[in-house]
Amino acid sequence: MNMRHLKGKFFISLSYLCAIFVLLALVFILGNITIKALPSLNMHFIFTSESNEPGYGGAIGNAVVGTIIISLFSTLLATPVAVGTAIYLKRYANEGPLVRIFRFMIDVLSGTPSIVLGVFGLMLLVFVMREITGGFSLISGSIALAILILPVIERASEEAIDRVHRDLEDASYALGATKWDTIKHITIPSALSGILTGIVLGTGRAAEESAVVILTAGYTQFFPEYKVAASEKLLFGIKVYPFQDLVATLPLAVYHSFEFPHLVSVSEGFAAAFVLIFIVMIINAVTRLIVWRRRIG
Amino acid sequence: MSRKSKSLTPEYVFSSCTVLTALVTLYFIGFIFYFAYPTFASQGFINFITGSEWNYSENIYGIRIFLGGTVVLTLVTLMLAVPVGVFTGVFLSEFASPRVVSIMRPLIELLVGIPSVVYGVFGLFVLGPIFGSYVAPITVSILGFLPFFQDAGSERGVGLALASTVLAIMILPTIISISEDSIRSVKREYREASFALGATHWETISNVVLPASSKGILSAVVLGMMRAMGETMAVVMLFGSAKQIPTTFFSSGYAMTSKILNDIGLHIAEETSRSALFAVAAVLFATEILFVGLARVIGGKL
Repeated sequence: MNMRHLKGKFFISLSYLCAIFVLLALVFILGNITIKALPSLNMHFIFTSESNEPGYGGAIGNAVVGTIIISLFSTLLATPVAVGTAIYLKRYANEGPLVRIFRFMIDVLSGTPSIVLGVFGLMLLVFVMREITGGFSLISGSIALAILILPVIERASEEAIDRVHRDLEDASYALGATKWDTIKHITIPSALSGILTGIVLGTGRAAEESAVVILTAGYTQFFPEYKVAASEKLLFGIKVYPFQDLVATLPLAVYHSFEFPHLVSVSEGFAAAFVLIFIVMIINAVTRLIVWRRRIG
Repeated sequence: MSRKSKSLTPEYVFSSCTVLTALVTLYFIGFIFYFAYPTFASQGFINFITGSEWNYSENIYGIRIFLGGTVVLTLVTLMLAVPVGVFTGVFLSEFASPRVVSIMRPLIELLVGIPSVVYGVFGLFVLGPIFGSYVAPITVSILGFLPFFQDAGSERGVGLALASTVLAIMILPTIISISEDSIRSVKREYREASFALGATHWETISNVVLPASSKGILSAVVLGMMRAMGETMAVVMLFGSAKQIPTTFFSSGYAMTSKILNDIGLHIAEETSRSALFAVAAVLFATEILFVGLARVIGGKL
């Protein structure tokens, strides 16, 4: 065996080693989180509100509910704009400098460090517009998160529209359908599973984001409430729960084990992390299911 | 493209969505720089970048330490992540059987699904003690003759080594998947020509495949770099808040993102100190926009 083959063998084993290292890292991370989470994981911890326990920690039910509400609500805000933008850029706009500038802006938005978006939300939504949003609130957090996930959904939708067969659309036009008819009956239905995948991905991104949420949604130990109450600080003197009220989220529940190490035990932090990863994994599984169904159908 | 349509309403709806997206982005960018401007004006841009003092009561703001911290942290992260990521990409595209790939891909995607705050607590409570009591002392005792590996950090392990290791794991999936894709897209003929010339598999990879996919790999590196630079939660927990640029592997530093997160809550109502923190965000944002532009020039897919 000569030097050349020896060198080859060396680098080939190196790439095997790297792949094994990545797998081991994953197993090590997930394993450790699970093992450290187990002592605190129980029905009471997951489903009751933290307000039932003294101080911070003890339960994360409020954060579980809050995470689900805020990620769904921000997806609801972002989806129409994102999908509309994608349809416009792919089917209406003519390729040109303006479209390139739009794409560049979407790229900038998608690469934005979350802390920059966080200070933007804190200043504009929480501070300047506090009479409308209620300061740290579900609505502030959802708007900031919607900006964060808008490019995720937009890109996935653009890619999905790209994959629609041109022949189908041409056939539709040949039958005399208008552009809107074609988009409504051919383009959107054909691209639907890809668009849905993007939407679900966006929800996942919103659920796992923490820097933005800390600076815009705040934290509360209580379950979200559903009522309207008088409040002098807000516009029209009314406060609409839960939109203008603080909302708890799981990333913050995890962060508390770092912020308040004497109140929230390490195990509780990891249990919150476990539940958060579980939720994100369910969301990802839904994405896979959508992709898989498309492959069959 | 321009087929005649009977109804213009849908077009208006969709174009207003696009305009809304663009306006939000422009407003967002403008907002950050508008609030940052007073600091640039009062401190001078050069002084702001190079100054090493940050003092709210005397209104002196310089980000040398935070900028240096972010740069050092990002570079060390890339040094750890890029080789492992690219070699794993090579493994997946060149050596692994389709079955292995179909198992490994979803697992690597799982790494993406772990939120950054979870990476933070994992680094702090699991890796930290290991770094503090084993990795740091052992590395220092073996490599201590190199200046970069002198003086072990704290017992909790917080510092450059811990932060960059965790960040490297965070950006690995990005680097792996993009480099795998770009290696796969290298034309079959290139490889065959190389084999025909008698090159070994590795020689083909290193002399033909990797150079041909270098654009994609470079854009993967830029993307990973952007993620590492903008990461906040894990960095706050793992990099520390020492008023120094880390000069050794185990010492701690202070990144720009941590500075913003640690201070913004206290200073949001006060105009000049708020502006100073917005200026840090503006520097971060401007760098990011620059890299997005760079990635576009490279031509890789973001």
